[in-house]
Amino acid sequence: MKNFLFFILALFFSVSAAYAADTRIWGEMIIPNILAYGTAENYNLGPLFVLLQSQYLRLVFAVAVIAVPAIFATHYFIVGPKVFIHDGNKIYIFSVFQRIIHLLAAVAFLLLVPTGLMIIFGRYLGGGTLVEFARHIHGFATIVFLVSVIPMFLFWFVEMLPTTYDIKWVFILGGYLSKQKKEIPAGKFNAGQKMWFWMCTLGGFVMIATGIFMYLQDFDYGIATALGVSQIDLLRISVIAHNILAVMITAFFFTHVYMSLFAIKGAIHSIITGYKEEDEVKHLHSMYYKKLLASGKK
Amino acid sequence: MSEQARMKFFCDTNRCIECFGCSVACAEAHELPVSISRRKVITMNKGVEGKEVSTSIACMHCTDAPCAQVCPVKCFYIREDGIVLHDKNKCIGCGYCLYACPFGAPQFPRDGAFGTKGAMDKCTMCAGGPEETNSAAERHLYGQNRIAEGKVPICAAMCATNALLVGDAEEVSAIYRQRVTSRGKGGA
Ligand code: SF4
Ligand code: SF4
Repeated sequence: MKNFLFFILALFFSVSAAYAADTRIWGEMIIPNILAYGTAENYNLGPLFVLLQSQYLRLVFAVAVIAVPAIFATHYFIVGPKVFIHDGNKIYIFSVFQRIIHLLAAVAFLLLVPTGLMIIFGRYLGGGTLVEFARHIHGFATIVFLVSVIPMFLFWFVEMLPTTYDIKWVFILGGYLSKQKKEIPAGKFNAGQKMWFWMCTLGGFVMIATGIFMYLQDFDYGIATALGVSQIDLLRISVIAHNILAVMITAFFFTHVYMSLFAIKGAIHSIITGYKEEDEVKHLHSMYYKKLLASGKK
Repeated sequence: MSEQARMKFFCDTNRCIECFGCSVACAEAHELPVSISRRKVITMNKGVEGKEVSTSIACMHCTDAPCAQVCPVKCFYIREDGIVLHDKNKCIGCGYCLYACPFGAPQFPRDGAFGTKGAMDKCTMCAGGPEETNSAAERHLYGQNRIAEGKVPICAAMCATNALLVGDAEEVSAIYRQRVTSRGKGGA
């Protein structure tokens, strides 16, 4: 664990110390970059970014941050939350280590999502010190996220692999359209949690990488060369990928928060105490429950 | 200058002799940190006889400037004469303007903690910034405001071969047209 932290820190410092002496953006490359701008040869990345950023980005984000919570509020008032017996048996499902790592990831997200939104809507905050501060917090929180997402990926990815009954879960939307307590086909994690997991880990790795690229801006680790693009185009690909993924991750993040805090009453306790209500597991994670019964652990 | 002047730079590659005068004059006039070079002289086909071409590049003060379109904090403002300027106190150093710029003009001094990117810096066509004209604050952030004093930008003013031209787009192209047509005829 110590080595791992050291590795992360060393990585961070080495990258910030390793600014290439010869610039890969402002030197000789400037002429080929000018000539390539807006040509099919570099997929029109410059004008594409200008179009996305000036016409669509803020709009799509505004829709995401307004529509997603609005849908959930409607769900809450029309369908209502699922309530399970809270004084029955409990099942131990999350180890201390998993809970600590999840807590770190939660802190990272609570910093990353609002500061990211502050940058995107920076013009309504007047820019300047406040938004620049948000940008720095965004960068700092990336380290917290990196430290948590790697172990999280490793200890959960097997249980997060898709199964056949996940398809059924998707078709009935996890049973969230009714308040009825039925046995929903899901393992330890349901299909929705799995989607969030892959979005958060694989998508998260892309977010971290593209974020670091933009943070360093002018560096030479052979990444652009390996991809066969110029450094400036690597930055353009990074910003486009970062912002598109950001919309999806933000929407999933809101969903995750709604599910754990509101949609299933008291669900949040399992990631704090490690115990889930047996009644909840039996209904919402029926396949997992049957496995526990069969293995005699329950 | 015509009614609706649109200020533009133009570098006549037939005249540029790669002396770096413009670049040095700019850095000195505006007291730029060493890491920043608002104007660069670039030579293509170096050493290939008869094919070597040099030109001087800085912010081109684009019409519908892409940098201004993408800035998340909207810190750019475009003067009536087309000079594209920005407010360093609003800038958050995100780098978006650089991704949008066709000419690689925006640059970032690494003056924050851990070498984080500071506020963006680029050519102002010697027209300063939003601070009070010729104030100490303006000079400190953006350099000289020669335009306010009725002077030509320092780079073009000192170009010994008159390769680097600045002024209303139409007048600049008229000068260049005249140069092209009179070349080899013993004229100007
Ligand atoms: S910074 Fe780039 S995009 Fe903006 S006006 Fe200057 S040359 Fe054009
Ligand atoms: S670096 Fe500054 S000027 Fe450039 S887009 Fe970002 S906030 Fe705007």
